[in-house]
Amino acid sequence: MKEFAVFWGCTIQTRFPFIEKSTRMVLESFKLPYRDIDGFTCCPEKSLVNNVDHGAFVVTAARNVALVDELGYDLVSPCTGCVSNLATVRGELNANPREKAEVNGLLKEIGREFTGTASLKHLVPFFHDTVGVHTIKQKIKRDFKGMRIALHYGCHMIRPSHALRADDPLNPVKFDNLIRGLGAESLQFMTKLMCCGQGLDRIDEHDKALDFARVKLKELKAMKADALVLCCPSCFLQFDNNQFLMEKEGERFGIPVIYFTELLGLALGFSAEELGMSNHRIDCASFLTKWEELSAKPAVAKGIEEGLTGPNALG
Amino acid sequence: MLEAKLDLKLLEMCSKCGACYSICPSCVNIPGYDPRAVIKSILDGEHEKWINHHSIWECLECHYCLEMCYQHYGFESAMTAMRNIATRKGAHPPQVKRGWDMFVKTSRLGEPALPARKKLGLPEPKASGAEEFRKLYALLNEKRAQHKAE
Ligand code: SF4
Ligand code: SF4
Repeated sequence: MKEFAVFWGCTIQTRFPFIEKSTRMVLESFKLPYRDIDGFTCCPEKSLVNNVDHGAFVVTAARNVALVDELGYDLVSPCTGCVSNLATVRGELNANPREKAEVNGLLKEIGREFTGTASLKHLVPFFHDTVGVHTIKQKIKRDFKGMRIALHYGCHMIRPSHALRADDPLNPVKFDNLIRGLGAESLQFMTKLMCCGQGLDRIDEHDKALDFARVKLKELKAMKADALVLCCPSCFLQFDNNQFLMEKEGERFGIPVIYFTELLGLALGFSAEELGMSNHRIDCASFLTKWEELSAKPAVAKGIEEGLTGPNALG
Repeated sequence: MLEAKLDLKLLEMCSKCGACYSICPSCVNIPGYDPRAVIKSILDGEHEKWINHHSIWECLECHYCLEMCYQHYGFESAMTAMRNIATRKGAHPPQVKRGWDMFVKTSRLGEPALPARKKLGLPEPKASGAEEFRKLYALLNEKRAQHKAE
């Protein structure tokens, strides 16, 4: 497997270092050749930087990609936004040789070159395509049989598809495959692919951001989902933090929000404490307790084999 | 150089379509949000009435419209162009202003949380590319000024 640089991004390192922790733990467990490299900046965040200055958006992303291009590494990120933004710019430059030449003219003056050769992948499609469901199944210590999980892909894990080529942009399956591989049920529901709406918090429209969170959380509550599983810090902020703010105002949903790396970490045998899950605003206890109870039950079809083949009364 | 653009031919086609309206999460969940109205104004030469309007910021850039679009265009193209125009006039939301200031100054949207990292046993964060980024951005703006002068 090719070495890859992990692009942590601003949100995880600033607000959710425990996500970095669980990500490192699972990468280590699978002995994956990941590297930390010097020189990354913000990806940059499209909805902010691209709305102010398209040129700044392009050159910043091109420079970040150039860093991995030069080292001959690939890039993997546990943030959907980061990968989507970097890939969007790579796609734009590869499709526009003139623009690419302009950008490289600038990069040359700081001693860099964008070639666009590195593969840019989000952690979920990376685990699906490169590690593989089969390897994951072999490695885990305990699965999630009996657990009802609602997945939230996060728009930028799969879109824009021309740039990412990660999964079907309107009917994605890879995250589902991973969750089923871990033994859980992946619930199908109306708002499964609905945008989280966290962007509204970034333009001073907090109430509307809450409206978006509420739509999905209500449905999950009605379906009695055991958890909402996702792999994007922005979506995590929306469903963990904003759910907490709504609960403080008396609206109760009780839906634990679990990062993909945490779920995988639990299956690998790490404790919730080690994985840093106590840092969530919404308590994950209901999920963990149900999981404990399930494992206390007898194994599937226990005794059947003996019943069919053992000594009998027929003589 | 490297400025935002808007393809008016595709926009014209878009104004006759409207197919993605029903899957746009903001159209569905935010009363009054309707890119079709913005697109009509642009084509009517009246885009200015949207510059101070919150609607143009309520596009979540989820790219649903882009994926659905038969011409791979998307409502979002028009909304992004409008946000760019609004920003150039200083009409962007306060939080966007603060975020941008932090980005150009530090090259990031926040610094790694050091005490929390230590508690979690995480390694020292790697060196940031801030200095190189500032140089690059200054170069871009120099080149733009040259282009204008020519
Ligand atoms: S990108 Fe914007 S306009 Fe397009 S579907 Fe999403 S919210 Fe709607
Ligand atoms: S963005 Fe595309 S699909 Fe949507 S209304 Fe315009 S042309 Fe039709």
